Amino acid sequence: MKVREIMTKDLTAVEKDIPVRELIFILDNAEMPNVPVVDEESMLIGFISEKDLIRAALPGYFEMLHSASFIPDMNQLASKLAQIADDPIEEYMRSDVLSVTMDDDDLRAADLIIRKGVKNVPVVDDQGRLVGRVRRIDLLRHFL
Amino acid sequence: MIVTVTLNPAVDKVYWVDSLKVCQITEEEFLTRATRSSTSAGGKGVNISRFLSAFGTENVAMGFVGGNTGHVVVRYLQNKGVTTNFVWIHEETRINSIILESGRDHSPNLINDLGPQISEAELERFMRKYRRIVKRASWVVLAGSIPPGVDHGIYGELAEIARENGARVVVSAGGDALTKALPACPYLVKPDTREHLLLEGTSLKSTESIIAAGQHVIACGAQMVVISHHVTGDIAITPDAVWEINAKVPTSEFKNLVGADDAFLAGILYQLSEGASEEESLRFGMGAGIASAESEKKICEDRAKVEEEMKKVSVERIEEGA
Repeated sequence: MKVREIMTKDLTAVEKDIPVRELIFILDNAEMPNVPVVDEESMLIGFISEKDLIRAALPGYFEMLHSASFIPDMNQLASKLAQIADDPIEEYMRSDVLSVTMDDDDLRAADLIIRKGVKNVPVVDDQGRLVGRVRRIDLLRHFL
Repeated sequence: MIVTVTLNPAVDKVYWVDSLKVCQITEEEFLTRATRSSTSAGGKGVNISRFLSAFGTENVAMGFVGGNTGHVVVRYLQNKGVTTNFVWIHEETRINSIILESGRDHSPNLINDLGPQISEAELERFMRKYRRIVKRASWVVLAGSIPPGVDHGIYGELAEIARENGARVVVSAGGDALTKALPACPYLVKPDTREHLLLEGTSLKSTESIIAAGQHVIACGAQMVVISHHVTGDIAITPDAVWEINAKVPTSEFKNLVGADDAFLAGILYQLSEGASEEESLRFGMGAGIASAESEKKICEDRAKVEEEMKKVSVERIEEGA
């Protein structure tokens, strides 16, 4: 089966200059854990997730801690998030974005999702423009 | 690719009732129980997208959505094969209620919600998205009502941007939204009701007055204007001709008129986008409209049924152009 047959045809995406605050609104309301970043020609240029924002708002040493109990409270996270709320998302997005094309086999999308542990993979056309995404649930639904 | 813009989409809730009780005195009397109901995504552009996808035409539906009802709209369209590209807003997408009373199915009772308030920031987000997608469009459909907070000149602005990007524009609207779009020379115009094209000091009851109003729009630069004349008959005006389209079907066969007009326009657009002639497109459009009116679903997605209805449609050239 081809990716075009299982993908979710949705073009929800953001541009790299929108502020973090706006991105959080979009992720929340569209109920998406991440969103592709596109340029003015709809070319896929990056990817940004809730996880990227949390990482950006946490103190640098957080990932080295064995337990979050070493953090006194959530004030640090809240105050860092407030500091970055108006920053352009470009500062926190990832440019090494994974993608599949509509004519790729479903196996390729499944492989990326499983091996890389991502929740979805953007789908692009032959010119690199965003045309949709394959979500974990798309795979489960179509393989049932 | 065809882009449809529905700035004020809706969840359409249809209730079928035996008898609609209004202005009754006791509680027992004013309770109307539905015998069944259905939920679907609604709005003119949304309906057109749904038809196009059913007939295999790639299209993108865009506009504003919000809240749980916004998710209903997006999910419904995606399940129908439509590509979605909506802007998420703070307020909730509206719900339109349609009540179809047994034996009076041809005249539905409608309660259309006003729709959510759109902020300046949300409109700006939409404009960026629109400018991006319109570069990939061959046709842009601007259809339906304008939500609160958005200037009624928006269709004119969107039509102008589409034209600059080489896309043909279809406008299906009424009131100010329609009249303010005309200077941008849309390719195809379908007013909600013929009164929306009323010229000063005229009434649009006769065929002649409808043609005169249509020719006025053609003079503004449109290539086709389609105006409802009666339930099963429309008039189309182009720079070269005037067409009368009639369907020989009894209105008693109609089960749900909601969406039939959108199916009519979608059928015309589908054929024009495939390179069909005006005559062929109008015949197909009327077939699609009639097939939808005869179906309980808003939009008939059955090609065989549309083609069957086309056999009952006459398209007659009644006059040379303006």
